[in-house]
Amino acid sequence: MNPSSIQIRLERVVALRKRYKAIRYFFYFILFLLVLYSIKITVIEDTDWERIGGLGMVAKAMGRFLPPDLSVVKYLFKPTVETFMIACLGTMLAVVLSIPVIWLGAHNITPFFAVTYPLGRSLMTLSRSVNEIVWALIFVAAVGLGAFPGILAIAMRSVGFVAKTTAEAIEDVNTGPIEAIKAVGGSRFQVIRYAILPQILPIFISLVIFQWDINIRRATITGLVGAGGLGLTIQRQLLMYNYGGVTTVILAMLVLIGIGEVVSYYARRAII
Amino acid sequence: MDVDPNGKAVSMAHKSVTWSRYKYPQSLIRYGVYLFTVVFIGYSLHYLNIPIERFYTMFGLGGSILSRYYPPDIAYALDKDYLRYVFETVQMAYVGTLLGVVISIPIAWCASFNVTPSRWLVYPIARFIIMASRSVHEMIWAILFVIILGYGMLPGVLALTLFTIGFAGKLFSEEVEAIKMGPVEAIRATGGNSLQVMVYAVLPQVKVAWTGISIYTWDSSFRAATVLGYFGAGGMGWYLKQTIETLENLKVSAILLSIIMLVIVSEVTSAWARGA
Repeated sequence: MNPSSIQIRLERVVALRKRYKAIRYFFYFILFLLVLYSIKITVIEDTDWERIGGLGMVAKAMGRFLPPDLSVVKYLFKPTVETFMIACLGTMLAVVLSIPVIWLGAHNITPFFAVTYPLGRSLMTLSRSVNEIVWALIFVAAVGLGAFPGILAIAMRSVGFVAKTTAEAIEDVNTGPIEAIKAVGGSRFQVIRYAILPQILPIFISLVIFQWDINIRRATITGLVGAGGLGLTIQRQLLMYNYGGVTTVILAMLVLIGIGEVVSYYARRAII
Repeated sequence: MDVDPNGKAVSMAHKSVTWSRYKYPQSLIRYGVYLFTVVFIGYSLHYLNIPIERFYTMFGLGGSILSRYYPPDIAYALDKDYLRYVFETVQMAYVGTLLGVVISIPIAWCASFNVTPSRWLVYPIARFIIMASRSVHEMIWAILFVIILGYGMLPGVLALTLFTIGFAGKLFSEEVEAIKMGPVEAIRATGGNSLQVMVYAVLPQVKVAWTGISIYTWDSSFRAATVLGYFGAGGMGWYLKQTIETLENLKVSAILLSIIMLVIVSEVTSAWARGA
């Protein structure tokens, strides 16, 4: 290879790199324009700036939330316990419901691959793609007001996450024990029970605790559409324009969620 | 005479014939946990006044309820006004997430225990910001911003920004806490300050993971954005509220279908973008 051909190749590489760089910058530029356009549409044009009027007005509007109205506290105990129970029962129901979905949606244990695997996967996507508010609306229409639709909504919402992550864990399990159980003549069910279950149980439990923590957060808002818990209380305070009361309810939510977070942190540490 | 693992002699007569996995104190604790769970379920069903019989009537009524929502009014979901709102929802999620990611980068820097500029002052503040924006649900943020700023997309964008700070900020800082400390020590040894440590030692290590997290956050905040409008914070949720309150069930089902379709599209896009 003579020096001039090396020179030519080098130049070609440099030119190519320059072009890539130009393309990349062009791409960034388009992205930047898109951002500006979106900001213009969403923030600048759509906002009623006169209503907001200056920072002083915003500060005044925020000031209405202070100080917290402590007279609401005595009505808070029952809804807080309710929220907690909705989250617990919803998570338990989600665990029960997720077992068949996991069985269908993990590709190494699904019974009839062509039919049940897509079915399981689409159930997971359906459950995760619909927000908890929408699930709550659907169940309020189906079973009436109260804590019950909240439990169902939270269960439906969490099935997808629990099932998807567990199914992925099942697909990654060590295949040695499965072959061992098959070799001694175990049935499909025995393979799942003795080879797969012991391997995924810690992951599954830590996932469920994580989901329980999130579900407390979700349970605080299902009440906004009539499904029980602290959301109902906050809705009531909003309708009365009692903004100090709203602050108090939010503080109660923070306490409840804080407790949930601490418990779930230590419970997960104990398991892993 | 038999010998147990500790070397003590144990007479065979005391051993039970059937093998059980859990020995005495553990088995008692397990049964205690089972009992507690059952009692807890029973007590909460009682406390929450849950009418279980409605659960069965739900299936009985299931057909008639579903028939109220069928067939979905597809033409409504293809209406030009509605599509414009869908587009605005996408933009709202986009701007909110972007803003949130930009803000959460410095917060994540301060909230990572290993590279934070000051462990006693900045670290707890940054942790608290992340905790607070995570703890309050994005719908509540949306309601609060609507009260303060009025209807429109600005409160939606801000609610999604706070959601992103809580969500991405936490994952970002967890990612930073898991980095290799070698490069950090190298930059510190050459006299770099903590900003230089961040830029030259931390960012190159977490860049890929942060991009993945940002895309995932966008996906999640888009899901939230579809409903934020229900509380007046802009986007297609407003249509959902209108049609639900006027009991136009066929339109409701069309909107729900469109939400599901959009979320599937965004999930596929985000999976593709994370792969690329």
